[in-house]
Amino acid sequence: MNNKFDALKDDDSGDHDQDQGSPKDSEKEKTEDKDEDQNSSRRKMVVPGAGEHPLQYNYTFWYSRRTPGRPASTQSYEQNIKQIGSFASVEQFWRFYSHMIRPGDMTGHSDFHLFKEGIKPMWEDDANKMGGKWIIRLRKGLASRCWENLILAMLGEQFMVGEEICGAVVSVRFQEDIISIWNKTASDQATTARIRDTLRRVLNLPPNTIMEYKTHTDSIKAWEDFHGLVNPSGGR
Amino acid sequence: MIGSLLYYALYPLSRYMESRRLHSVWNGGAITTRSFTQSQNNMLDHWLGPGNGTKGQTEAKMKEPSPEQEDDTWRLMAVLHGTIKNEAGSKMSEGESAVKEKEAETRNGQIQDAVEAPEQGGGEITVHYEVFNTKQNTEDGSLSPTEDPNQDQASGLHLACLLTEDITQETPSPGQEKLNIPSLEKPMPPAEVTECWDEYLDPVAVGKGGESSLELICSLLLSNTQPSKVSRQHGTQAGWHFPAGPGLAEELQCPLWQFPAISYYPPVDSTVPFEVMWRVWEEVDESATAAEPFPFTKASMDFTVMSYNILADDLLQAHQVLYTHCPLEVLDWSYRCSLLLEEIQKWKPDILCLQEVQENHYHEQLYPALSQMGYTCVYKRRTGTKTDGCATCYRSSCFSDISVTTLEFFRPGIEQLDRHNVGIIVLLQPVVMHGSEVKAKGSLLCVANTHLLFNPRRGDVKLAQLAIMLAEIDSVVKSCEAKGEHCNLILSGDFNSVPSMPLYQLITTGELYFQGLPASMISGQEDLSHRAYGHRLFAPLWPSSLGITDRCQYTSVYKEVSKRESQKSGKGQYSHDFMRQLRFCPAACIRPLDLQLIPGVTDITSEASRVNQPDKSFSHTISHRLDLESVYKHVLPGFGNPEVTTLHSEGAATVDYIFYSPRCTSVWDQNAGDFASKGLKLIASLSLLSEEVLWSMKGLPNHIFPSDHLSLLARFQVDLNAA
Repeated sequence: MNNKFDALKDDDSGDHDQDQGSPKDSEKEKTEDKDEDQNSSRRKMVVPGAGEHPLQYNYTFWYSRRTPGRPASTQSYEQNIKQIGSFASVEQFWRFYSHMIRPGDMTGHSDFHLFKEGIKPMWEDDANKMGGKWIIRLRKGLASRCWENLILAMLGEQFMVGEEICGAVVSVRFQEDIISIWNKTASDQATTARIRDTLRRVLNLPPNTIMEYKTHTDSIKAWEDFHGLVNPSGGR
Repeated sequence: MIGSLLYYALYPLSRYMESRRLHSVWNGGAITTRSFTQSQNNMLDHWLGPGNGTKGQTEAKMKEPSPEQEDDTWRLMAVLHGTIKNEAGSKMSEGESAVKEKEAETRNGQIQDAVEAPEQGGGEITVHYEVFNTKQNTEDGSLSPTEDPNQDQASGLHLACLLTEDITQETPSPGQEKLNIPSLEKPMPPAEVTECWDEYLDPVAVGKGGESSLELICSLLLSNTQPSKVSRQHGTQAGWHFPAGPGLAEELQCPLWQFPAISYYPPVDSTVPFEVMWRVWEEVDESATAAEPFPFTKASMDFTVMSYNILADDLLQAHQVLYTHCPLEVLDWSYRCSLLLEEIQKWKPDILCLQEVQENHYHEQLYPALSQMGYTCVYKRRTGTKTDGCATCYRSSCFSDISVTTLEFFRPGIEQLDRHNVGIIVLLQPVVMHGSEVKAKGSLLCVANTHLLFNPRRGDVKLAQLAIMLAEIDSVVKSCEAKGEHCNLILSGDFNSVPSMPLYQLITTGELYFQGLPASMISGQEDLSHRAYGHRLFAPLWPSSLGITDRCQYTSVYKEVSKRESQKSGKGQYSHDFMRQLRFCPAACIRPLDLQLIPGVTDITSEASRVNQPDKSFSHTISHRLDLESVYKHVLPGFGNPEVTTLHSEGAATVDYIFYSPRCTSVWDQNAGDFASKGLKLIASLSLLSEEVLWSMKGLPNHIFPSDHLSLLARFQVDLNAA
């Protein structure tokens, strides 16, 4: 499985997580500063407007895109990922969503991330580091609809797994699109099974759709293997 | 001859009537005339029956199981008020409030008499012959214990009158008679009569024609002379019942007209202060309803619904400029209150939907009086600072209540719902009681009563308020359907919108394309089109947070969600459908200030504009699925003058309505094993008046009508099922 991803990477498609390479140490501090800024701006918690329908959690949209022409490994993941905005109600969600391009209309190597406010869309985030994700690969043309169904189910608390859900990602690649949903505890099989079943339902997936669960530790390992890093102590 | 004498004596009066928009007078006249001599007429009908088949027709038209009972039905129709002295008439005035049965006896006697009459003239009607017969009948009638006032007027005047009447009466076929008396020209008399009749139409005709017209006038006057009371026998053709007892005639009682010092009209010859109040029951054209394919008889129940904006005293005081035309005494609340209660007492509506009911007046006067009359009352005061509200009252002997919902239209944070209007919706079970035991039940009846915002510029508010009303009615209907029961609808009140304008269209046609409409046009109350900067309507008309779709229904998920929310604390759980309904809410169309601008990614111009394309779900139309029809058709019979339901110094218009779900074709009901007819059959409505006529009464309120609105009153029929 990892091999397959690796192979895909070479032709500019594949699992975005593996492309979201670890920043070089020199870049790391810089991006951490940036993170500080982002964190401080995020601290101003959004609240639902009067008469709006509050969500159980606040969420933040993120967007990332790999600059064409540069090898993935040379780009900082955090460099490339941008916060789009946070919202606290159904109405506010639509405000952002309706001003954003649909995943199916995106070109190039791009990702939308929708995570609970305070959780960064990175393996290393405290909320994510013990977690994993369900991955569904989609042929071209399905991403917009599936993405919308996925995030509506997440925002509307339809997964019914308590606080387990961290966020969701849609990755637009050259030949396929990938959607994934992240949860906190990869080892909690009851939770992951429940998420899988809900996914099948809300995405209205055919029964033979291949759904793959991948722990973030595996993802990290695979990334490191690919990039020839022996010591993963950097936490990446 | 008496006739010519009368002619000269009454000529000024005829002129007067002409000057007062002759046609409307005559319309009333036609009805009155008919009603006045109904007894004679019926008698003649029977008497002529063998000859011209009138009786046969009549019987054919009888739908009620017991025609004899129908025969007994006497109707009080209208009053022409005048000062012409007719001693006989005035003397007998009490007579006509007589109880039906007695009158029926009288009438039967007359019929027999008539039948015994030697000449069975058939179509051959000669004046003398009729006079003779009527006289005979009249005499007979006067012998009867309950003296029908009509017959008591045995003077020559009467006879002339009766003559006219009879001709008028017997000529039109019963079907044509109903409601269809728009003008005198309309009835199609047999050939023999036609000539005379045409001449009757000419008020200033000379010779024979002159006499005829005189006679017609006489008839009007005669009915006047009966102080305000004319009983009308509504014979078999009608097939509807009116309550026995004082009834309408008394209602219409017009005390000798006292013109106040200031008048909009030059005082008419003071010797003939002639005033007319024609609030008469008008039957629904039977030909329309007669099309029912299954002419089987089924037990049914009649009930009446009144809608009445009674003009809250606080509002009157706040807008005194609207009532400068009124003598002070008619503006006094206690006076108006007593007139109001009298009016209710007279008509005895089974369901009463009141608007502008001031809270303290309700508790101190209206509620005690109404509950004493046997009404169960629901009151809902407007939110905010206004002291009035709506009240829905129903006769507990006819209805048991299933549910009561009071609605507040004020919704904080929603611009279109920033006004403090309210509505009441009651779900009633029509019952026929026998003692304390329920003998039969009718289909459920949902009665909605509201008073929408007045402000003519805020059509957006009116529509949103109406939408709440319709959504609530819809949910009541749904709850009935869920139990497998059909629910008939009454939607009445003051909608502050005139007929055929957008809001009205939405109600009656079930749909309204509103995109781009000026908000001030929605109600059509005034023409504000000259206002350059009028607010226009654009979708969506109200935020989706209201939880009401553009089909004027509660979003099912909305209810589902709110239910779930109330069940458990797990907030924030929404279905896809629910969330998608909020997709184009106003908030979603505004670009968020904090949205990072990423070219090609977050610079999408609001999706709402894309969605506004017709192929998208975002509709420029609002609609509802309720089948609603107005009881009133908003034009008066005859010359088509507009009806008005409200009038004050700044104008007159129809803004009050009774909408109902009309009866549709009977369908075989598997469950009941019977033909079930859904919907209400409109039997009759109390005629409204034209602006001219109301001004001739010195506008509203006046000494007869206590509000600046008229009451609306309709009689419906609903099928019964044995309990």
